[in-house]
Amino acid sequence: MLRISTAITAARTVNLLSRLFRKGKGSSLPGLVALRICPDILEVLARQTKLGIILVTGTNGKTTTNNMLASILSNSGYRVVANSIGANLSSGVTAAFIEKATLKGKVDCDYACLEVDEAFFPLISKKVNPGIVIVTNFFRDQLDRYGELDKTIRFVEDALKMIPEPRLILNADDPLVAKIQVNSGLPAFFYGLGENTGLSEKGGFRVREARFCPLCGERLFYSYYHYGQLGKFECKKCGFHRPCGEVEASGVTLSGSNFSFTINYPGGSVPVNLPLGGLYNIYNALAAFSAGFLLEMDALKMSAFLNNYKPATGRMEEFTCLNKKVVLNLVKNPTGFGEGLMYLLSSTSPMDVLIGINDQAADGRDISWLWDVDFEILEQIHGKINIFVCTGLRAQEMGVRLKYAGVPVEKIIVEPGYTNAVKRVMAGQAQNKYLLTTYTALWPVEKELRKYVA
Amino acid sequence: MSLKGKYSKGTIQVCHLYPDLLNLYGDRGNVLAFAARCRWRGLPVVVHQTRPGENVNFKEMDFLFLGGGSDREQGLMAEDLKSRTGELGDAIEDGLVILAICGGYQLLGNYYLTGDGQVIPGLGLMNFYTQAGEKRMIGNVAVEIVLDGNKYKLAGFENHAGKTYLNNIAPLGRVLSGYGNNGEDGFEGAHYKNVFCSYLHGPLLPKNPELTDFLIGAALKRRGLPELLEPLDDSLEASAKEAILRRMRINL
Repeated sequence: MLRISTAITAARTVNLLSRLFRKGKGSSLPGLVALRICPDILEVLARQTKLGIILVTGTNGKTTTNNMLASILSNSGYRVVANSIGANLSSGVTAAFIEKATLKGKVDCDYACLEVDEAFFPLISKKVNPGIVIVTNFFRDQLDRYGELDKTIRFVEDALKMIPEPRLILNADDPLVAKIQVNSGLPAFFYGLGENTGLSEKGGFRVREARFCPLCGERLFYSYYHYGQLGKFECKKCGFHRPCGEVEASGVTLSGSNFSFTINYPGGSVPVNLPLGGLYNIYNALAAFSAGFLLEMDALKMSAFLNNYKPATGRMEEFTCLNKKVVLNLVKNPTGFGEGLMYLLSSTSPMDVLIGINDQAADGRDISWLWDVDFEILEQIHGKINIFVCTGLRAQEMGVRLKYAGVPVEKIIVEPGYTNAVKRVMAGQAQNKYLLTTYTALWPVEKELRKYVA
Repeated sequence: MSLKGKYSKGTIQVCHLYPDLLNLYGDRGNVLAFAARCRWRGLPVVVHQTRPGENVNFKEMDFLFLGGGSDREQGLMAEDLKSRTGELGDAIEDGLVILAICGGYQLLGNYYLTGDGQVIPGLGLMNFYTQAGEKRMIGNVAVEIVLDGNKYKLAGFENHAGKTYLNNIAPLGRVLSGYGNNGEDGFEGAHYKNVFCSYLHGPLLPKNPELTDFLIGAALKRRGLPELLEPLDDSLEASAKEAILRRMRINL
């Protein structure tokens, strides 16, 4: 008991100090300190959650899904613990509980919504014993940490078998996620995005992962897909196919940077007008809605909360700086970056672009993945983009990538320092600015950007 | 007469083997770089994306790229290539320019010895072997190579568990920082005729244009075309390489 109090006090002190010295935002340091002093603090705090713990894992969309769910639950009047800023290792999850705990180690909460890094899923799920597990998708990400994607998925599958009766919420459109149901033998609730004219592509030529059946190895047949490998898939050999979604979006239309669509769920349907660009955010909304549905939240209220959702830092976050519209977006793998570029493609007005690439541990030390991003599609809109400012520790490499994608060299500005880089992009001619950065470049770029917010 | 009418005489033929299977670690950037640097000099180039089972006449190609994939995908690639080892061997003797990275590199050798003592035969086209190591060798690498008597530094990123040992074959270069073939003997990659093997991702060619141009030159020479290449402005490439070399405390 004393150790818990000591751990919480120490974590709070560290938190206060790091805020005073502005050492990054809501970092994982307090959690780390607490875990060092009291290794079982996470179990002890998590155990006090009254109604249930929901874990969100997968490659992309964890933060947004988790935040959407947390906002649905807290707006419905529940007390919620959530690691809302994307710190998703043991330390970050622990810090989220500590924030809501008394000094004596009491946590008064109904639900805990926790996003969990794929590699830490086995460890954390064992400690917190979740009632619901959401798996968003699996794309290639930060390979130097985990070896290969197949291995990461196996980690998650094996861990799920160790949890007593978890309710799985799985993305029906991702064969790598849908197969978890088959491999684990656990019952699952599926969500997905139906075929949409204008948004879905026929065939599966550009599908990157899962070109082959994850169960038998035969080539997978896609009748359509939305992005990455998310779509309607079928294996002609073993019969593995896209499961039917219990929660499905239909009638998706894009107006401005909002998506309107209908969510169909068992027993009804509700319209949603999501204030976020990026097709992937529809998936995030569906995942959060599915969890809310299983927790018996009101569907109409959920849609209202989603309509008013405010994105977390760098998740298509919008700013107005010097009367210009600025969108800040986190990118961390080829699929997410590709979707980020789609936003550029769909924009009708001229843009100044900034790309921030770092290669610290949290970004992935290996930046080879930049070459798996289809920057070549920018060829269609070179005229619309005035400048590409490349910044961060690997600014030069990013410049090279753009050069080989056919971007005219005179449009490529290499400026490793954030202050000058943001200054350059803000000084560009276009009314619209689009900033894409990897994880550790996000906060410093945001900080520079804030200087221009009136 | 290694070139037939099907391909116009002036066009450089690039064969990207199994981009479907072997698309890890941005290695397709090597093909992009090779093709771009041909185009920038007005040399017409065509890239063939070859899938398993598809017919390729290796001798008609000018540049062949072989990357790496996950274990399962590499197994599929090995199966497909085994049926054409003879043709590939002939093309190598004929001077075909090949770049093989990581898994593709290992495959060209004699065998891969797994951790539990199993021998997975390679294509046996180059005299080296690979054995599973205890820990993955991951991180930035700097290598010194000699091309036509000139020394160059290459920068890249390695991520492999296999340790490769050269028998009677030249390395691509010497490790300045990082692990290279096995983290023991200081060698990186392998080189035989116009075949260049390396563990370097990054990808290798975009940031190391001296090597890219050397490969293009070798391909032109094999065809009896003038191999002297018009110089390009490589200041951006040089700065990208320098940024990472500097981190390893090595000068460009």
